[in-house]
Amino acid sequence: MSILEAHHLHKTYRLKGKVLAAVQDVSLRIDGNEVLAFLGANGAGKTTTIKMIAGLILPDQGSVRIDGQDPHKDPWALRSLGAVLEGTRNTYWRLTPEENLEYFGVLRGLTRSVARRRTLELLDRFELTHKRREMVQTLSRGMQQKLAIAVALIHNPQLLLLDEPTLGLDVEATENVKNIIREVAAEGRAILLTTHQLDIAEELSDRVAIIQNGAIAIEQSTSTLIRQFSGTAYNIELVHGLEGDRLSKVEALGGVVKGNKIYVREPDVVYEVLDILKPLPLVKVEQDKASLTEIFLQVIQKVNAPQTHHA
Amino acid sequence: MLDLFLAEIKRSWIILSRYATETIGGIIATTFVFYGLFLSSRYIAGPGIVLGDRLDSVIVGYILWTLMLFIMGDVAGGLQDEARTGTLEQMFLTPYGAARVFVIRAIGSLSIQLTLNIVIVAVIMLITGSKLAFPPTLVPPFITALLGAYGLAFTVGSLTLVFKQVRQVQSVLQFGLLLLLAAPTETWTGPLRLVGWLMPIAPGAGLLRDVMARGLELDGVRMAIASVNGLFYFTLGILLFSWAERLTKRQGKLGGY
Repeated sequence: MSILEAHHLHKTYRLKGKVLAAVQDVSLRIDGNEVLAFLGANGAGKTTTIKMIAGLILPDQGSVRIDGQDPHKDPWALRSLGAVLEGTRNTYWRLTPEENLEYFGVLRGLTRSVARRRTLELLDRFELTHKRREMVQTLSRGMQQKLAIAVALIHNPQLLLLDEPTLGLDVEATENVKNIIREVAAEGRAILLTTHQLDIAEELSDRVAIIQNGAIAIEQSTSTLIRQFSGTAYNIELVHGLEGDRLSKVEALGGVVKGNKIYVREPDVVYEVLDILKPLPLVKVEQDKASLTEIFLQVIQKVNAPQTHHA
Repeated sequence: MLDLFLAEIKRSWIILSRYATETIGGIIATTFVFYGLFLSSRYIAGPGIVLGDRLDSVIVGYILWTLMLFIMGDVAGGLQDEARTGTLEQMFLTPYGAARVFVIRAIGSLSIQLTLNIVIVAVIMLITGSKLAFPPTLVPPFITALLGAYGLAFTVGSLTLVFKQVRQVQSVLQFGLLLLLAAPTETWTGPLRLVGWLMPIAPGAGLLRDVMARGLELDGVRMAIASVNGLFYFTLGILLFSWAERLTKRQGKLGGY
């Protein structure tokens, strides 16, 4: 059994006479030790889906199971869920990190003594011990975000929902948060990650689901998806630009030359091209690999978008 | 549950102490009002006359009114603040259920407020040498009035969840509360008496007046009516709140402000 199982979720809003199909038949599953990157343009239905999983929005149809329990029927299912929600503070800015962690620990069902113990552990782990008695509003954005993740983990949940956890963070803070996500997943948790920073999604995720107009456009393991969208072509980079006889021979084999870069479409002729180039100094030879950004753009362009949608 | 109550008391106390200027200002203002009440009662009564139950009832009435205003502001205002600052959704991620947490939170902050008021009154009694007698029979009607106030507060809280902005409703309710507390329903007869029984808070407030100002014993039947009244409005408030929670979740508007 997966830690998260969401089946056939539907959500439609009626606003000022208009019907907005926010989410249509979305199913998601995440196992322990797994990071699912949940990607989509603004208004594609990511936030509505996440909030349906967290029990904050009632689905019109479909079901959610967190560790086998339905958060819409049994509030104790929330004992297995932690969430950092986008666009909200997630913590009390007038309290210190220590006070926030202790309070939310009890709110999530821990006893005061366990909440106290977990607080000290998490402050230490997230390198916030030296700031534990300062009001959250005085902390940097990076520290506030680390605290929000720590608060989401205070009750040791199996499922962690992270909605844009690196939004607005500087390079160092982003690296910090990325390391935290890796560690937390490695502890056996299931993580649902949404982000517009697709390089981060590519780096951290085991699987990718792309949502467009409220429906899942594609869901695949990250490596398979990248392989699928990557061509069989090769890129060769030289130290200097190619000229004369070598240039015409490479072009005759179908290579596309731009300055010191050669694009070889047919993998069979790579070695012939390399023979022609010998002994010119090379910078690199690599298979043409699609980035998640290219894949994302291709997928969402493929999907027709005539319907209205809602975030 | 006790852990949650203690955590809520701690949270309320910390936030109260962080708004130190506001809190100290509030305490000074309350002290002056109470002190004024003591002085004016003494002035009206004249130095030769022993102050009786009248002053006690004025003080109890005033405490009751300020506490009810506090409960209203605390529940509905608290919800608005949480929605504005962006912690409301985290509140709803509790396995205890949001309504229970908000009730426990409201009781926690009321306990702090009540303690502050009692300390202030005690200090003034020491300064002025006045003696106030609070008979234990005061407690049951006091609780029924508080239950009614919580019921109203959660009704306004439900409106807050659904409509987000309810400042106008709150200001209208302040006058409504005064009416409910001051209406002499215990003296009403005929069909009006039934109306008095049905009005929120009023039966408890009427009993308080009887016990404090008129020196009457607690009437069993009327206490039962006040209890049913308090429990009814409290339950109604909580049910409305749960309904509003479900409606907002269906509309997907829980976190919006």
